[in-house]
Parts: sequence; structure tokens; C-alpha cells
Amino acid sequence: MIEVKHLHKSFRVHVRKAGWLDAVRHLWKREYRVVEAVKDVSFTIEKGEIVGFLGPNGAGKTTTMKMLAGLLHPTSGEIKVGEYVPFEQRAEFKKMMSLVMGQKSQLIWDIPPMETFLVNKAIYDIDDRAFRRTLDELVELLELEPLLTKPTRSLSLGQRMRCELAAALLHRPAILFLDEPTIGLDVHTQEKVRRFIADYNREHQTTILLTSHYMGDVTALCDRIMIINYGQLIYDGELAVLTEKLAPYKRLEVQFAEVPNVRWEDYGEVAEIEDGNVVLRVMREKVAEVSAHFLQHFRVHDINIQDPPMEEVITRAFQEEVPHGS
Amino acid sequence: MGKYWRMFREFFRACLVEELEYRSEFLGNLISSFFGIGIAILTMNIFFYQTDRLGGWSYADVLVLLGVFNTLKGLIDFALRPNMPRLLEHVRRGTLDYILTKPVDSMFYVSFRHLVFWRLIDVALGLGLVVYGLAEKRYFPSFVDIVVFFITMAAALVLIYSLWMMLMTTSFWVIRIDDLSFIFDSFFETARFPIGMYRGWVRVVLTYVLPAAVITNMPALSLLGKWNISTALIVGCLAVVFLWLARRFWRFALRSYTSASS
Repeated sequence: MIEVKHLHKSFRVHVRKAGWLDAVRHLWKREYRVVEAVKDVSFTIEKGEIVGFLGPNGAGKTTTMKMLAGLLHPTSGEIKVGEYVPFEQRAEFKKMMSLVMGQKSQLIWDIPPMETFLVNKAIYDIDDRAFRRTLDELVELLELEPLLTKPTRSLSLGQRMRCELAAALLHRPAILFLDEPTIGLDVHTQEKVRRFIADYNREHQTTILLTSHYMGDVTALCDRIMIINYGQLIYDGELAVLTEKLAPYKRLEVQFAEVPNVRWEDYGEVAEIEDGNVVLRVMREKVAEVSAHFLQHFRVHDINIQDPPMEEVITRAFQEEVPHGS
Repeated sequence: MGKYWRMFREFFRACLVEELEYRSEFLGNLISSFFGIGIAILTMNIFFYQTDRLGGWSYADVLVLLGVFNTLKGLIDFALRPNMPRLLEHVRRGTLDYILTKPVDSMFYVSFRHLVFWRLIDVALGLGLVVYGLAEKRYFPSFVDIVVFFITMAAALVLIYSLWMMLMTTSFWVIRIDDLSFIFDSFFETARFPIGMYRGWVRVVLTYVLPAAVITNMPALSLLGKWNISTALIVGCLAVVFLWLARRFWRFALRSYTSASS
């Protein structure tokens, strides 16, 4: 569905120093610096996949996504989405994809979302019956019924996001680009949006590429993730494999009745010790042995074994896989 | 073409709903429209206390010209002016990305997405003034007069649109849009008067470089039966050339937008 080969993108930005003298000099003499935003990125995404696209701010996620959506010209390399080359901006291509940006809205501010839907109906040339059917489905899945007739400006952020999703899906795109779809939403609404995306993908086999800062989005939705940093793709594969590879330990949390006087380093790496609560990072193969030992020798109130949080894993990925500097 | 017409109707409908959110504006605008045209007529009357010809035009001729001016102004305020500041917003906030992912011509979308329908009052008042001017002169335009009027009027609209569009497109680089509207306004104001009033280089500029005067003078003259076919053709060609230029410029701006912005 999506095929990317040796994608590069560099921007020319002008360098400016602070101070008015430089501001004046800047008027006729500009210094430019070339910033490589995306360097030699290649990947393939199959139909129906949900792929999480991760990386710190400025890593090149959005730039790559914009190139896939045809908004930016690649400096070099090949992109094919479906049968199309995105930056040619063919109408057929635009009809098969959709873009949702968490920080930018396409809804008309002063009037109810339904009006935006109708405008999109005309833009995408959707016939009445197909429109009705799709809208009914989206209204049900996203629980939009009470929102349809309220002016957009009076909706909460979460309500607005749900309407954004509906507006983007009315023409039944085969590919959906989601750029930070849950940004700024509360936990409950994030959960709702995630569930919708998962259901929708299952139902319609829509290919979804998702960027997010929230690990929750990624762990809940994506089997496969791609990590990009300094413009380079540093990991592409299953989420579970990454966790195993980069975090060969588990998080062992033990609540002791009274904290025993032992050398914790013998069991694992100490993450935190507070009152009777001890959190250790214990190598996977030793977890069973260590917990059995605790239970046998000490009075334990509670014991809890978990995978390390995603944030920790990703941070490690950035630190370990990336060559020094940029 | 049919699709674009349907889309235009949908834009109109959505904007109507949007405008009706603020109903009280309607009355205010009705009053200001009447006031505007009233002042314009009064000004003309003052001129004509001193003279009975203005740049070779009689009082009734000037009324027709004023009518044409008002009609065009109404159409600009109806479709063009509301869209201009929005393009800037789209560029600055990045929502232009949404427009570029839509399967429509982006120039069409940014030009006509927002319509301020009550500005059509000005159009109606302008046309009324044209009819009144003709009645005053006791001139009944022939069928051919009217055909030429429509052709030159269409050409005038295309010309204004193209000039406006080019100005609008500069918002990819220019940040203060108010100044841009001001430039257009002062340029368009010159179209209120007969071209014969201007002398020397001003006249040359207004005829050939920034054809403001041509825009209103030609349709008015046509309706008064004083057209000639070669000028009408030239205006038509000029309109096509300007439209082509505007389109090229838009494409150029988009290209630099899509290859540079982040």
C-alpha cells in the first residue's frame, strides 16, 4: 500500500543571529544552512496495517508524513502510495487518503460540525446514499449524535477531535494519516479515540500511519512501530520484539511488611525504594527465581511484575541505537 | 464543471448558515450599503453643480458608471474580500495542508470558500443605479449593447479576480495582510470615475498597467451604446492573460510552499 525507498528531505533555512546589527545585515546578505530532516528512509506498509511512527520532536516524523500525503516534495527518493506518487497531487490519490492533525482543525468554527460534513460531501463528490450510510456509521461509532447540531466553537477538545475524525473519514479513505490524534485529550477521551481507531481499522481494513507522543496510543493500537531519530529510521518491527531487545528486564515491585536489610544489587537494578516499597529492574530469566526468594524469606504484602513502561524502552532506543551527535 | 458549481452552492449554503449565526449584522449591513451608495451619488451631484461634463461624461452616464462600480464592488466583497485574510490564516496556522489534501482545485477553494452573502445587496443597488441612470438619460440599450455589456462585465470580473488573486498569493511571503487590502482598495477606488478625468501618465497606467479604469468604464460605455468591438476584444484578451498569470503565480507560490515549509 505504501512503499518508500531511500527517502531524503532537506530544507534550506537561513541562519540568524540575535541583535539588531545582524538583523540589518540580514536584509541583504543571508546565510543559509541545509538541514537534513529525513535521511535515507525506506519502508513498506501493507494494506490494513496500523503502524506507529515514533520519535522525539523534530525527528522527522511529520516531515515524512507530509511527504506521504503529498504536501511536501521529497528532495530525493521514491514514494508510492497505492498506485500514486503523492506529490503529483492527483485528485484520485487525494480521494483515497485522509489526514488528521491533532493540532489543526478543519471544522468550520462558528457552525455545527454537520455543516463541515456537508461541505466535505460536496468536495469529495459523495452521493447522498453513500454519505448517509457512512455518516450514520460514524455517528454511532463516535457517539456524535448530540454534537451534530452544536456550533463547533462550543464543543470540548475531545468532542471536536471525534468530529475531526468523522470529517476525515466521510469519503472512506483507504489510507489514514494521523498526526498526534490524541494530543491534549484527557485519558478517558484518549481511550475512546483509540478504541474507535482500532475498531474502524478492523472493520474497513484501512491502512493507518500514526504519530504520537503518547505511548498509550502506540501500545494500544500498533503491532508494528517505526522509530525515527535525527531523520533516520532506527527501528522498524514488532513492538514486542523491541521491548525484549532493549529492555531485557521486568519491573518487579514488592511491598514488604518491613524492609529487609539486604544488598538489592544482588537481585537487580534499583529503580526506587520508598518506605516498604521496593522497585527493581530484574533480568527476565531471573524474575521467577527472585520473586520466589522474596516470598520465601521475607514477609511480603504485595508483589507485582510488569513489563517496563514504553517510555523507558523508547528512551533507551534513542540512546543506544543512534550514532553520537547528529 | 458541474462538480464545481455544486461545490460553490454548498459553500454558499454553509456561509449562509454561518452568517445567520450573527443575525444582527444583517440590518447594520443593509443600512451601511444604502448609506454608501447615497454618499457616492451625493458626491457626484456636488461635482455636477460646477460642471455638466466629467471627463466627457454627462450626469446620467456617470450614474451608470457608478452603478457598474457598485455592482463590481459588491461582487468583490461577496466572494473575494472574505477569503483574503483567511488564506493568510491558512498559511500561518498550517491548515492550508487540509486544503491541499482535498481533491479540488486549491485556487478555487481558497478563492470561494467563504462568501458574505449580504454583500449582494450592493450588487442589487448597483444594478438599480444602472437602470436609473439609463432612465435618466432616456436611453434604451439595444440587444447588442447588452451582450457587449455582459462580455465586458465578465472580463472586468475576471480581471479584478486575477489582480486580487495575485495580491492574495503574496501572503505566502508577506505577513501583514491589511496593507495588501489597502493597496487593492486604493487602486480600485480609481475605477469610480470616468477614465477621461485622468491625465498623462496616470491615465496610461490606469489603462494598460493596472487596468482599473477599463474595468468599470468599458461595461458602462457598452450599456450606453458607445462600445467598439476591438476594445471589447482587447479587454477580453487582457482578462484571459491576467487569469493565466494569476494561475501561474499561484502554482509558483504553492510549489515553494510545498517544497519548503515544515
